[in-house]
Order: sequence, then structure tokens, then C-alpha cells
Amino acid sequence: MKSVTRSAFPSIFAIVASGAALLIAGSLLAQPSPAGKAGPAPQQTQKLSASAIQIERTDPPEDLLVPEDFRISTYENVILQVEKTKKFQHVYRSGDRRAADVPDLIILRMVPQAYKAGSQKQREVTTVSGGTSIKIKVTFTNRDGKVLLEKDLDGKVRFFGENLRATYDFAKNVADVVNNNF
Amino acid sequence: MKTRSTQVSSEVLRTPGGIVRRSLRLAGVVVFAVAVVFAAAASPVFSRQPAAPQASPSSTISGVQCVIGCENIKPNSKGTISVVPTGLRFATDKDTADISTASIQDIFVGNQSRQDVSGVGGTVVKAAIPYGGGRIVSLFSHKVQVLTVEYTDSYGGFHGVIYVLPEGQATSFRDQLVAQGAKASAHVDVAEPTQEKP
Repeated sequence: MKSVTRSAFPSIFAIVASGAALLIAGSLLAQPSPAGKAGPAPQQTQKLSASAIQIERTDPPEDLLVPEDFRISTYENVILQVEKTKKFQHVYRSGDRRAADVPDLIILRMVPQAYKAGSQKQREVTTVSGGTSIKIKVTFTNRDGKVLLEKDLDGKVRFFGENLRATYDFAKNVADVVNNNF
Repeated sequence: MKTRSTQVSSEVLRTPGGIVRRSLRLAGVVVFAVAVVFAAAASPVFSRQPAAPQASPSSTISGVQCVIGCENIKPNSKGTISVVPTGLRFATDKDTADISTASIQDIFVGNQSRQDVSGVGGTVVKAAIPYGGGRIVSLFSHKVQVLTVEYTDSYGGFHGVIYVLPEGQATSFRDQLVAQGAKASAHVDVAEPTQEKP
């Protein structure tokens, strides 16, 4: 029994040592490489920065009918929510001439992709149907038109609230994108 | 003959069944008369227009909701909207938002319906009714008109403002603003735009 224990000790030690070595190697590879050295690409993208943003009015394609109050509510809610993020010194409206003098201006364009009107009454009576939703492609570009960030965002109202609340939900999602990327 | 009928009626009055029959007939006549009086009194009430008259030419309406876009006024505030010589004015107890006629780019009118019991309080009340009774309350709604005005500020910045007015009033306001010289393009009302682009 004693000889068996003595002979097993080196093999157990070898297994433990190799396991420890593997763990150390794995943890070293998982760490971001120091600057200047080649290594895997960094996981988190660099945040964008700009002193001002200009928000263009929503411009749906010709074959998609979006009510004017919905478009206006989307535009105004996005302006309110982007202002609340306090990421920019100035938030300019579409057509504002003062934006022409800003060198690092970011332009936000919104193109509706899908729209479902829904019904508040149907929502509240049935719970499962009548939801209002809007899906909009949001594009952040610089002054030269280079796309810096592009996302498909949606706004929904499922249970309670008026249809226009979907535009508020969408604007909150835009504000989240601004907070995460600027 | 006359004597006979008098005799018959006097005989009827004498018997207990006849008295009951006669009193029932009298009661029926009285009830019918009362019903006619009530119906005559109620008919003007039923035929009367709703509290907000359709397309009346009034230029000031109170209890209007500014959903969004009124400068310096919180969204969903209620106030008074009026057409003034310079344009459109929305005033709450604290603030006033003016839109000049010359700055208006377009005006849209849409029809919608609003729940009679709505808002946070209404939602709580609906949820508090047992056995899903709140759903019945949700069935009650009233028609409203939505007035959407697009305009530009002094720097050329585009603005939009949305008001909710009683039924029939938004058209009147649009007509008054157009008469003052505001721009308003012809547009198609999107009544039930339930289609979805794939």
C-alpha cells in the first residue's frame, strides 16, 4: 500500500502542475495585450465624441405610410431624450443654420422601416393584441457623410398607454445608444 | 240605449272586478301621459350635439392637450389654444407658446379616439376592478382630433407640435390659420395604417 502511494505521487503532481500551467496560460491569453504588442483585437470599441449633434427629421420611404403626428412625435421625443443625455454641448434641430459652423458635428438620421398602428382599446381589452410598434434605422454620420454608427431600433407599446408612447419608447432607445457610444 | 249603458256602467262599478279593471285602465292612461311628457322633454337632449360643437368657428378652446413640441411647456400639458392675429397660441397657467403664421410650414389634421378613463390614475382604477372588469371600462372612448403643426424657428430649425382637440375643432383651426396665410399642403389622412413593410 505504501509503495503504491509513493509511485502515484509523481503522476498526481504532474497532473496538478499541468492543470495549473494551463490555467495560467489561459488567463494570460485572456488579458488584453499591452499597447504596441500584437494580440487579439480589443473587445470594446472606442467611444465617439463630438460637441454637437444635429437631428434630422424622420423621412419614411414612399411605400410606408406613417402618420404625420407619429413622425413629429418621434422627432421631438428624440430631441428631448438626446438633450437629456447631456453628451453634447448643443443639440441642433433639422435645418438649424448654426450647425454649419460646428466642425465636429454629428448628424443623426432616422428612416422608418416598419410601422404598425395598433389600437389602445384593443390592447387594453384583449391584452394580447393591438400593440403599436415602429422600427427605425438610426444612422450617425459625420459632416462628410461617413457612417460612424448604424442601428435598427424599435419603439413599442404593448399593454397600456396611447399609441404615440411607442415614439417615446423609441427615443429612450436612441438615448441608450447615445449613452453607450458617446 | 243611454239608460242601458248607464245601467251597465253602474253595474260594473258595483262588482269588485269591474272596479279593478277600471282603475287599471285609468292607471295605464296616466302612465302613458307621463311617458309622453318625459319623451317630449328628453328628445331635445338626445338630439343635441356633443359638448364640443362640430366645426364651430370659435377661435379659443380650453382643455386642449399639447402632446409634445410646445416650447417651454411640458409634454401632455393641458391649456387653452387660440388663433390670434399673429398666429397660434397655446397657454397654460404658467407659460405661453406662440407660433407665428409666417413660420408655419404645414398643418395636418387627423382623427383618433381617446379612452374615457386613461392616464396613470385610470389605469390603476381599471386594474383594481375585480374579475377583469377594467376591460369593460376600456371599451368607452370618445373621438378627438389631432392637430399637427410644423414650423421653423428664427434659425431655420424645424419644429413640430401636436395638439389634441375635441372632435371637429382642429379643422376649424386649420382653416383659420390657412386664412391668415399659413401654409398647409393637401395630404391623405392615414386612418387605419396597419400595413407593415417587410
